Amino acid sequence: MIAAQPYQGYDDNPCRPRHFKPPPCAPVVPEGPARKAIEACRTRLFLTSILFACVFAAVALRVVEVVLLEGGTAQSHMPRFRIPGPPAPARADIVDRNGMLLATTIDSPSVYGNPKQILDSADATRKLVKVFPSLKSAEVYAKLTSGKSFVYLKRHLTPREQYEVNQLGIPGVQFQHEERRIYPDGTLTAHVIGYTGIDNSGFAGIERGLDDTLKDRREPLQLSLDLRLQYILREELQRVIDDFTAKGAAGLIMDVNTGEVLSMVSLPDFDPNHPGAADPDHPDISIADRMFNRNTLGVYELGSIFKIFTVAMALDAGTSTLTSTYDASHDIHIGRFTIGDYHGKHRVLNVPEILMYSSNIGAAKMAMAAGGQRQREFLSRIGLLKAPKIEVSEVAAPHFPAKWREVNVMTIAFGHGISVTPLSFASAASALVNGGILRRATLLKLPPGDAPPGEQVISPKTSEQMRKLMRLVVEHGTGTQAAAAGYLVGGKTGTAEKISGRHYAERKLLSSFVGVFPINDPKYLILTVVDEPHPNKQSHGYATAGWTVAPATSRIVQRMAPLVGVRPVDESSPEIQRALMVDTLQGKRIEAY
Amino acid sequence: MIRLGTLFWLVLVSATGFAMFGVKYQVQALEDELARTNRTTAAEEHELRVLEAEWAYLTRPETLEAMNRQFLSLGPIATKQLHTTAADIPLRPPPPAPPPPPAEPAAVVAAVEPVPAATSTPSAPEGVPVRTAEPATPQTAADPPATQSAARVMPALLEKPAPMPQFAKAIPVKAVVKPSPSPSRRAKSLDDLIAQIMTSR
Repeated sequence: MIAAQPYQGYDDNPCRPRHFKPPPCAPVVPEGPARKAIEACRTRLFLTSILFACVFAAVALRVVEVVLLEGGTAQSHMPRFRIPGPPAPARADIVDRNGMLLATTIDSPSVYGNPKQILDSADATRKLVKVFPSLKSAEVYAKLTSGKSFVYLKRHLTPREQYEVNQLGIPGVQFQHEERRIYPDGTLTAHVIGYTGIDNSGFAGIERGLDDTLKDRREPLQLSLDLRLQYILREELQRVIDDFTAKGAAGLIMDVNTGEVLSMVSLPDFDPNHPGAADPDHPDISIADRMFNRNTLGVYELGSIFKIFTVAMALDAGTSTLTSTYDASHDIHIGRFTIGDYHGKHRVLNVPEILMYSSNIGAAKMAMAAGGQRQREFLSRIGLLKAPKIEVSEVAAPHFPAKWREVNVMTIAFGHGISVTPLSFASAASALVNGGILRRATLLKLPPGDAPPGEQVISPKTSEQMRKLMRLVVEHGTGTQAAAAGYLVGGKTGTAEKISGRHYAERKLLSSFVGVFPINDPKYLILTVVDEPHPNKQSHGYATAGWTVAPATSRIVQRMAPLVGVRPVDESSPEIQRALMVDTLQGKRIEAY
Repeated sequence: MIRLGTLFWLVLVSATGFAMFGVKYQVQALEDELARTNRTTAAEEHELRVLEAEWAYLTRPETLEAMNRQFLSLGPIATKQLHTTAADIPLRPPPPAPPPPPAEPAAVVAAVEPVPAATSTPSAPEGVPVRTAEPATPQTAADPPATQSAARVMPALLEKPAPMPQFAKAIPVKAVVKPSPSPSRRAKSLDDLIAQIMTSR
């Protein structure tokens, strides 16, 4: 027997195929400490596999939940997955009450150079100057050879300029994303909207007063302004300035029932797109003068239009009635002053006549009868002794005497010796005609039909009397040229002499007119002030309010009434006549009274 | 048996792998598209802002006024143009019935304003010539009877059945054309229609 002993230790099965190699298997370990160790190993392996099985089961369950059940929040925490949306404009738009765009922000990149990357500075300079003729080649060349790594070449390009610079393809010349504020209407709303600096922060007007709001908002900010009325008012004021070669003018239109300012114009004005640039038509007018908002920042002795406050105070306090009479036949001499009448009647006048003929003597006597204390308290109540509150930041405090002496009482009665802003005046005058409620003036549009709460400053009865008296002024008094057929304008003229030095200058006038229409149910107040008008031939040598701003008010009323939906009425109809009849006149003609 | 299992898993793994890469590339493509769309949106929005600014600039009141002077010469609305409102304009009278009723135009005009004269509002003053279609008779005297007669006439006019079917049967074709409220746009097609009807007869 050939005893070729096979691999006994390896496999003792003689019938196994040659290529078969039995799998290694756990050796049979006899009883003893070794077997115990192996058992422990098996237990550990078992536990570990259970642990893994649990983890995998958890992962599987989670996958099922996310994929099939869409459960949980499958949020990505990786920044590269954040989807960049379109960037919000840096500053909210401003629109008028009808949604017309007044100010917007558009992209306007700046071009800068990185001189370290520019290969041929001379060539680059030549090309750039060709695109931007306003740049000087010496300056550009100096910038491009400065060795810095960032020099602005030109800021705020137009889309076309950007395209042309791109076409040049100069390496090292790049764009920086920037935004620019645009005012499509230019000068029309200059003083209200204001303007922004090169970094889009507000420098004046609403842009400054509501700077934070505009920065935070996305939706447009709606103002109470009406662009159409703004245009009408500006055009008519400009016409007054041109006709009477005046120095400037201010005007505002206010909704008497809400305090919304529908239009605010101050002339001369500036272009907010290029603040600080000289006006090509009037290079002699200084920048400061053009940027000055006469409505909110200018304080003026407005003159006779102040008499409406004197009359309202006296009627409301009961110190005068419509039938009270005051002797206006002689001038009043007090201290170094002489108070006389411009449209003197030299006789005894009753209260309606004092207002109609704008009698300084009568007004002074009415105020004296009421007393200085009462006068001061009344002016304070209607908000004329403090700075107006409004959304623009340029507001001025009034000037008035610290000591309210007798002479002050008399002069303030006809609007001298106290300077207020036209805006304060308009708010207070609105309160006189709207039923006696003083509301804060605002430049923001209020929801329709939502009048803000106000303060009752005079009684509704006094307010009604004031409406009738203001109608008389236009019907028969100094303001007849303000009448607009069908629209029932009421108002008061005022012509003040400006102080020059320590004296009033007779030739330097400040003519003003406050008009309200329709006076039987007041809706709109128009205040116009013209600074230093000079007489012309058409006005027969007058530069007083009745010849300058009163006709302008008439034109404004006729142009704006169809736009704001005020329908003309028949002025001679019995209802209108009855509604506006002053009781004391008892139907008599004024001159006959 | 073991080999089959291995093969199965291999196929599964590769299939999953391919599927995963497929999804990944799809997602990438979608992300690119999203970013592209966002860029386009931003560009369009910017363009929109520029165009809106331009529109506002081109529709400034002074531009409009200059264009008005050049092309239209419209003036401000005069007060006398506003004495009449849309409410004062009479309604279009219904097309007359086959034997045209002798309805006075005065009656129809008065019917749209049946308010007695005493309650006229200030917006519609008496003294102003509001209705130019009024008869020459004095207004105060004519109003009440006119209103009454109109009250009688109007329902009668309105209760008439729709005239079209009658026209088709009884009325000569030429009469159909005349009271038709159709504007001139249809004149040509109507002529064609009439021509067709005539030829069909």
